[in-house]
Amino acid sequence: MQALTAAALTLPGLMLPPAQAADEEFGVQYGHYQEGERELFGVESKFRPIEVDSLQGSGNIKITDRVKFNFNYTQDTWSGATPVATAPLDMRGNRTVSPDVVTGATPIINGELFFDSQLNPLRTDGFGALVGGTDSQLVHTLSSASPETRKQGSFKLGYEWDEAAADVGGGISLEDDYESRFVNLGGRLDFNQKLTTLSGGLSYTSSDTKARMDHDILPYVDTGNYDSQIERTGEGGKIIHGDRKDWGAHLGFSQVLNKNALIETGIGYTYSHGYMENPYKVVEVAFIDPEQQFRAPVDGYFANVQALLEQRPNVRHQLNGNLGYKQYIEAFDAALHFNYRYYHDDWGINAHTFESDWAQPLGHGWSVTPRIRYYSQDAADFYIPYLVSQQAYDLGQFNRNRLPANFSSDHRLSGYGALSGGVTVSKQFAKGVNLDLGFEYYTHQGGLKLGGGGEGDYTDFDFWTVNGALKVNLEALVSSSDHSSHAHHQHQHGAMAPAGVMFDHMLSKDGFMVGYRYMYSSQGGDMLHGSNLVGDQTIVANGCGPNSCFVKPNSMAMHMHMLDIMYAPTDWLNLMVMPQFMDMSMTMRRLNGAPPDSEAPDDGVHIPHHVENGHETGGISDMGVYALFKVLDAGHHHLHMGLGLSIPFGDVDIELRRNHKAEGGLIHYGMQLGSGTLDFKPSVTYTGNYDSWSWGAQLNGTKRLEKSGETGYRLGDIFQTTAWGGYNLTHWLSANVRGVYTVQGAIDGQFNQYIDQLGPMDYPNNYGGRFWDVGFGLNATVPGGDLAGNTLGVEWLQPVGTDYNGYQLDRDGSLSATWHYAF
Amino acid sequence: MLNTRKALLAFLPFLTAGLLGCAEVAPWERGNLAKPHMALEPYPMQSTLRAHNYSSREAAAGGNAAEGGGCGCY
Repeated sequence: MQALTAAALTLPGLMLPPAQAADEEFGVQYGHYQEGERELFGVESKFRPIEVDSLQGSGNIKITDRVKFNFNYTQDTWSGATPVATAPLDMRGNRTVSPDVVTGATPIINGELFFDSQLNPLRTDGFGALVGGTDSQLVHTLSSASPETRKQGSFKLGYEWDEAAADVGGGISLEDDYESRFVNLGGRLDFNQKLTTLSGGLSYTSSDTKARMDHDILPYVDTGNYDSQIERTGEGGKIIHGDRKDWGAHLGFSQVLNKNALIETGIGYTYSHGYMENPYKVVEVAFIDPEQQFRAPVDGYFANVQALLEQRPNVRHQLNGNLGYKQYIEAFDAALHFNYRYYHDDWGINAHTFESDWAQPLGHGWSVTPRIRYYSQDAADFYIPYLVSQQAYDLGQFNRNRLPANFSSDHRLSGYGALSGGVTVSKQFAKGVNLDLGFEYYTHQGGLKLGGGGEGDYTDFDFWTVNGALKVNLEALVSSSDHSSHAHHQHQHGAMAPAGVMFDHMLSKDGFMVGYRYMYSSQGGDMLHGSNLVGDQTIVANGCGPNSCFVKPNSMAMHMHMLDIMYAPTDWLNLMVMPQFMDMSMTMRRLNGAPPDSEAPDDGVHIPHHVENGHETGGISDMGVYALFKVLDAGHHHLHMGLGLSIPFGDVDIELRRNHKAEGGLIHYGMQLGSGTLDFKPSVTYTGNYDSWSWGAQLNGTKRLEKSGETGYRLGDIFQTTAWGGYNLTHWLSANVRGVYTVQGAIDGQFNQYIDQLGPMDYPNNYGGRFWDVGFGLNATVPGGDLAGNTLGVEWLQPVGTDYNGYQLDRDGSLSATWHYAF
Repeated sequence: MLNTRKALLAFLPFLTAGLLGCAEVAPWERGNLAKPHMALEPYPMQSTLRAHNYSSREAAAGGNAAEGGGCGCY
């Protein structure tokens, strides 16, 4: 009844995502979201549309037969163009300006408009002269954003009785400008021989906004309504603070109707209180000043357009109800699923969602699930593309009481419909190992609103998403593998290498292994030139080649997540695939004694942004494919060779946002996600073990096979040698020590696109060097129980010697953690 | 404010729909219901991701805001 239990636990839209998957299941998922270009009516946007890369990991662990633990981790990095305002087309908010010779759209949110007597905007030549006729076309004013990363972790601890369950959970979501913490309680009761299930839950979320206002539009935004919530920064920026609380409750009911059908239904309620604005959205207000009407056309008006931060109510009550039906279709061995959801809130929004999918198994472990979804919502009562106010606006002085209490031009609050469709293809490899691939296309259109009357087509946009998930169910795997092979695997892992060593062992014929590797590395503190500490004056003078340096990196952190999939077609040849996802963040500070900002490129307009915001990037990185060849396998001594390629899937053209009419340019080499080149990665590994002792050594290298990547440069080649020794402390735990020497060349060539060179990290000579590290690690093998055969490793690499090329930030060290399971 | 009576009426169908009726289905007759593709949520991770995409793009995501999900301020 596993599926039934799961069904009862997952009433979509009502149940807090609980321990949904089966017991002892681990999963990892990558997703990519890509938006299409926005229609700007005559202006071609120079901004890249929004894209989001996300990584998700989840696990369900059975602590005892009745106690279940579930955890989820998600991170996403987004960047791209987003609407900051809506205005009549004649405002020319996206006009192409090139005072700095760099062509690109800069959001213009202040300006002038002319109206006829009915307040229809009149068409001008762009220089204040009317050219005849009205033009009511609206358009979004776009702004762009540098990449930003959000990370979220949550857990759930549950207890199950024979016919009931209860769980408690919580989590935290962190991003630069928004933090939210949540707790929840859930319960389930089964009746009627488990044909009927009642479920319910309560949740509480507390969120803090700490939004740094866009430097580019800051001087042009009226923030008067939020003065008490605004903090002013040393660099002249403004940070809006706000907090909100959400309380939620839901009740769900599911019922088996007959041996082929079940129904689920439920209601939910959420009460929200506090700051619910989008801090980056403004509303254009056309102020018609009686004293300026000498500029007005005959029978018309002249307006001075100002941008005000949007204002939403501080309270929201939301109700939703859903009704789902699932039917098994005997003739096709398929499942048909319908779901309808009705939503109502006191902001005036009513919404309907219809979803349907057809799950069709195809045999040999394959299944395909096409799905379709339609969503329609009314506009919020206070949604308005722009406002007109018959009063003067004089340097922020005006009567706010003559504006509505709330106003927003966020298209998410407009009336529209959205149609989406997609397909999920799933393949079960071994019993308990599943790969799911999904695709979806989504189109948001005012014209698709149920009953008509939606927003104009200027708000229309579309996106597509792809995702891939690997799920491993250990219970199913264990039950499908026989006992003797199990013992064999345990033996194999008795001599595990330190967690930071890759390619440390081979599998025997028909072996299959899945694993996950995590690596974190950190840099911080002082700057080094070669091995020597250097002060700000030296960096200013010498760190940036022929130019002066203005900023220096203050901290850098990198997190890398790798999937490790290995298969042994024969004893002497193993194949490996290692997709990677990574994210990086850095902070910077001004260098003391640097020349004035006006001497920096673009008059240093990006410097405040650099030193106050820091930078983040994240997404898919290069993928490794390897073949390992057995050379020697003589009792206590093993030798194998690896040949591999690193395929350049990682982006090497990530840009910083435009600011003050100046391109941000590419973010520096160290924050790009890949090497940009096809790389050859050979290795030779020796391992030995005797009694409780194990040892090994490895030589590995990275040779760039191309002269340069798409953005014009090539990272330095790498050569690394390492040796280690380990000792089994108990039959399941071992400790190890190792030494590593690494040498990496400087970057060859340089970016062939614009980069705003402000600090040492922007110069190719300040990369690579010679590094000595000592590692301390622990490895554990689960000796028995359901999780037998799982191995875990952790290692800290401590730098003991650093000899950098050029000027770079000192190293703090790196942490590796691994999990592997062979079957 | 919500009109409580109206709201209750609107949501009444969701409360009562489940009581429509049910036949006795013995445990040994539940094989079809137990198939993986009959689970209400066969792809929970994918559903979470899709829900996150929708919630950052649609106004009606609330009502199940139990899970953080971030600002979605873009």
